[in-house]
Order: sequence, then structure tokens, then C-alpha cells
Amino acid sequence: MELKTVGIPRGMLYYRYETLWKTFFEKLGAEIRVSDSTTHRIAERGMSLTIDEACLSIKVYFGHVNELIGKCDYIFIPRICNFGRNRDMCPRFHAMYDVARNMFRNSGQKFLTCNIDVLGGEGELKAFLSLGQSLGCSVKSTLGAYKAAKKEEQRVWKKKVQKQKRLLEKDVLKILIAGHDYLIEDSFIGKPITDFLKKSGVLPISAGIVDRDTALKRSVDMSPTCKWQLNREIIGGIGMYKNKIDGIIFLSAFPCGPDAMVNELMLRRIDGLPMLNLILDGQNGTAGTETRLESFLDIIRFKRGLL
Amino acid sequence: MNELKKPKKKVAFPRYANYNAPIRYLLENGLGVRCILPPRLTHRTLEIGAKYSPDFVCTPFKILLGNMIEALEEGADTLVMVYGICKLGYYGELQEQILRDLGYDFDFVNLSEYDTGKVKDLFKATKYVNPQVKFRKVLKTLLEAVKMTDYIDEVTSEYYQNCGFETKKGAYKKAYQTFISNMYSANSKDEIERAYKKVRQAFSQIPISKPSQPLRVGVVGEFYTAMDQFSNFDVELKLAEMGVEIHRWMNVSNMFLHYPGEKNLNVRVKEFTTYQMGPTSTANIRSAKEYAERGFDGVIHVKSANCTPEIDVMPVLQNISADYKMPILYLTYDAQTSDVGLMTRLEAFYDMIYMRKKVVK
Ligand code: SF4
Ligand code: SF4
Repeated sequence: MELKTVGIPRGMLYYRYETLWKTFFEKLGAEIRVSDSTTHRIAERGMSLTIDEACLSIKVYFGHVNELIGKCDYIFIPRICNFGRNRDMCPRFHAMYDVARNMFRNSGQKFLTCNIDVLGGEGELKAFLSLGQSLGCSVKSTLGAYKAAKKEEQRVWKKKVQKQKRLLEKDVLKILIAGHDYLIEDSFIGKPITDFLKKSGVLPISAGIVDRDTALKRSVDMSPTCKWQLNREIIGGIGMYKNKIDGIIFLSAFPCGPDAMVNELMLRRIDGLPMLNLILDGQNGTAGTETRLESFLDIIRFKRGLL
Repeated sequence: MNELKKPKKKVAFPRYANYNAPIRYLLENGLGVRCILPPRLTHRTLEIGAKYSPDFVCTPFKILLGNMIEALEEGADTLVMVYGICKLGYYGELQEQILRDLGYDFDFVNLSEYDTGKVKDLFKATKYVNPQVKFRKVLKTLLEAVKMTDYIDEVTSEYYQNCGFETKKGAYKKAYQTFISNMYSANSKDEIERAYKKVRQAFSQIPISKPSQPLRVGVVGEFYTAMDQFSNFDVELKLAEMGVEIHRWMNVSNMFLHYPGEKNLNVRVKEFTTYQMGPTSTANIRSAKEYAERGFDGVIHVKSANCTPEIDVMPVLQNISADYKMPILYLTYDAQTSDVGLMTRLEAFYDMIYMRKKVVK
């Protein structure tokens, strides 16, 4: 088999599936090319390419897709619809692959995709088998690669959850960040915020880094009819962590509909914890945000008798 | 207390295009409850709705919330909210929370809570509204309400195709409005049929003068805003009155009764989309492509602000527009949209398609 280069944009579900995807493609013998961490330039490019009204996350993502155009045989963009009943993805993930195809159709770039729609009978295994097929690999080697990747994914994830558990036991100020990993961990969007917190002596904790099955169950107490998988993990995480933290920052991308609704409900339902609703548009620099963070930290310190 | 003596619940369902007529029909004649028709949507509806909603939720949420408040002010004691894919499935829970926090006292039937994938469980919701309800009766009335919906969509479609060409101004609108108000007051299958026949006859007698090749514009877009005349400022009528034939495939009966199925729609737009991109995406892409193939002079894409799936359809529509050289006007509605601003854009669009047609001819 001829060695193929698969490009993976560093955005959106990359943060969730980094290990799974990388291990899988590597095991199949493909060369992987991940776009660099988000810079101002990448973000700007994405913003100018994407429909103005779309959310910041997808704009940044298309900035990354653009980085990879012409530099690899395929750019990998999965289509993910749902993981089962009441486990939907935001419609953006249903559309992402086709949007990219339409946006970049004159570039000659090939895209690689797979479809996860559990309610429609297309699970993860089936999706990965189809990926192997698209790359011209045998069923046997694809299956082997998928199993190995899955194992590695679980190992890495467990470690990440364990690490966060240890952080939660630390006797310092801890702030729970309720937001998508693709925002929190992005070097241009969320990183400046977690960096700022750390610099101020506060430990940022991610609500979504949590045992996902438990979080899904827990989310039903927080909001019974919420059907978005990613949001359910996050609010379930809030439920599980809320007694161990000093405050919550809701972090969302401008103008994200699902987060706007879920966060509004949480702000109305959670009692007794200082909360801050931060909506980032990636445009106005960090000065304003830092001022808001500072006064939020003051409130928390005041409550804890540290001021 | 005897169940029978309990006063009937006063149930309200927020306004949605003309579909409150079949909803009222079902509630009153099938479920045996009193239906409170919320006030017509006005700017106030959107204003109060927007005031209490999170900023970035899609506009229909705000309008429905505003209208729920108005319904409670009119004396409703029970609110019904539907569910659906996309954010719609989550509307109810947040709206209820907001209303409770405001201090309103009411029963809330959130069909999203009954959504298990089984019809049986949805029937439980009707039991909740009226414990005496008979399944048979509900089913029969439901079928009649569905028929009514079908008629409304058919008549609405004809109305917008022709009203721009009537020689006696206002004739179409008058017949149409009589029909709609008949649908709101109908209490039997007979009344529905009679009113339908009447409007068909009335329409057929209105003299029109239409050129052999009139300007034709197709309307596509998001499920609430594209159909709700208040929400879209009756964009179809505005454009029709400039002398344009308006076509819109998207309506409740086409999406639910006559839908060819996602797969079968998708084959016709394979070059543009592999997957279903959102709840109404394939239908809209298919419609836009079909309008282009039929040589329409333009398409209007109507959506509310922050409508995720319809934003994602736009790059596809742009490609259809480029491939078929057919102009598309993109309209986004939010609480700031003004009649004047909309009119200006429509006039410019009209001038453009009018000039193009002249040049092409
Ligand atoms: S959940 Fe929000 S941020 Fe994420 S893709 Fe959807 S709209 Fe964008
Ligand atoms: S389709 Fe658009 S308007 Fe309807 S619920 Fe989804 S985002 Fe909102």
C-alpha cells in the first residue's frame, strides 16, 4: 500500500479524539499531519473564510482546514450526528464535512470522512471500518488498528481523569471551567484564560474531564431534556465536581446556541457558587476578559475570607 | 372532588404561522380541552420574549416565549410546547424555567419529556391534559387536523403564487384570510371541507393578468421563520406584490406528510451534500437546486439569527447560485430587523432579477 498523508485540523473534535485518530491512522501506516496550534493568523483566516454568523469554534476550525489544503492527500473531517438516543451532536458536526467540501471545492483537495449516526445504525466501529476501506486497507488490519487505538484512547483518557481528580484534592482556589474542550484547550481561545487563572494562583478544572458515563447519568438531574452529548458531559461534570470547587466559569464561543441555552439554565439553577458567563468572540483582545476575570476572582477570594 | 366537575383546562400553544388552527381543532375537538388562542404575534411579543431570553438563542425561541407570556396574560393555565430535532427539543425546558423564575403559575406540557421514540408515550401527554381522553377520538380528530394542515399549505401556496397578479387589488388576500379564519373556527370535518371548497372557488374567480413568463422566486429556509408571516414580515407577500410568482416547498405537510425521505431527497443533491447537514438542510438544498433547474429568477433564503443548521447550508447555496447563475438573497431575522430595511433589500433584489430577465430575453 502506498503511504498516504492524512491531515487533521487542530480544532473541534481533535481535542476529544486526538489519541484515537492518531493511533488509528499511524497503525494503518498513514503519515499524519496536524495543523499547528491556533495563532492569531489562523483564526483570522478562518474568520474571513467562514460565513459571518457561524460560531467562533467553527471559524477557527476552518482556519485549520485551510492550513492543510494542498499539503496532504486527505484532510480528515468526520461527520458525527449522534451516539444514540438523547445523545446528539450540535448540528454543526452533522454538517462540517459537507460545509468544508463546499467551501474548498475549487482547491482540488480530497477529504476523508466517516459517519457516526448510532440511531441510524452507523456506530463507531462501522465508521472506522469504512475509513480503512477508503484508505485501501484490509478489514483485518483496520480492525486491528481500531482496537489498538481504542485501547490507547481509554488509557490516556483514564489518566487524564485521574490527574484531574488529584488536582481537585489540592487545597488551593479551584475554578471549574464549563465549556467545550475545543475552546478551553485551544491556544488562541481558551488557553489565555486558563493561563491567566494559573498566574493568579487559581487552579482551573475542566468540567468535561470526567468519567463520561457517570456524567451522562448525572446530567439528567441537572437538565432532564438536554440532548447534546457534549453539553451533557459538561453539566454532568458540574454536578459531580460542584462541591469541590470555588466557582464556575461558563466558557462559550460567540454565538453558540446550544451553550447559550444550557448555560442559561445552569445559571438559573445552580445556587451558592459564584459564576461567570464568558462568551468569546476572538476579536477584542484579552484585556476586557482579564478585567472581568480579576473581579470574579476577587468575589471568590472575598467569599473564602481571603481578601 | 369528582373528576368530571373539574373545570376544563385552558390550554395554549404559542403561535406558529397558521398552524394554530389545526392545533386548536385537535385540542378542542379531540382532547376536549378549552384552547386559548394566544394573541397574534406583534413586535411586543418579540420584545418581551427577547428581554427574558439568552441573547444567542435562535429567534423563534424568543417569539414563542413572548407569546407564552401573552397567553398566560390572556388566562391560559396550561402551556403546551412541542419538541423536535435541533434546539427546538430544548426550547421547552428553558422556557418553563424562565417563566417560573418570572413567577408565573401554570401547568406545562413539554412534549420533549415524553419523547421516547414511542407514540404510546406521547399519548400519555394527552392523558395528562385530559384524563378522560379517548385514544380513538384523538386519532380521528388528529387525522382531520392533518387534512386541515394539508389544505392550509395548499391554499397558502396558491395564494403566494398568484396574488401578485390580481387585477383587483386585495382580492386574493381577502379570500385567503376568510379561509384561514374559517379554519380557526371549524369544528367538524364538514366545515373544513366546505371552507376549502369555498376558497378554491373564490380563487378561481379572481381575475389575474400574468405574463407568460413571470418573474419567479423560490423561498427556502428555516422551519419557523420561513413560514411564519409575522416572523418574516410576510416577505412573500411583499415580493409577490411587486409582481413575482412565489414558490415555497417548505411547509409542515411537505416536510411531514409528503416527504420523500432523507435518502431519496439526498440522491438529487449528491454533488453538493453527502449527508443530512441539519433538520431542513437537504430539503432546502434540493428545493434551491430544483428552482435553479427550472430557471427561476432567484431564491430567497429565510432564517432566524443564530440558526446553526441554516447558517451551515449557506456555503452550499452559494455554490448552487454560482453553478446555475441564479441570485440568492440571504435574509436573517432578529429583534432588530426592521420593515424598512427589509423593504430596501427586497426592492434591490427585485430590480436586479428584473434587469437580468430583460437582458437575458
Ligand atoms: S456547540 Fe456551539 S461552539 Fe460547538 S459547534 Fe455547536 S455552535 Fe459551535
Ligand atoms: S432549526 Fe434553527 S431556528 Fe430551528 S431550532 Fe434549530 S437553530 Fe433554532
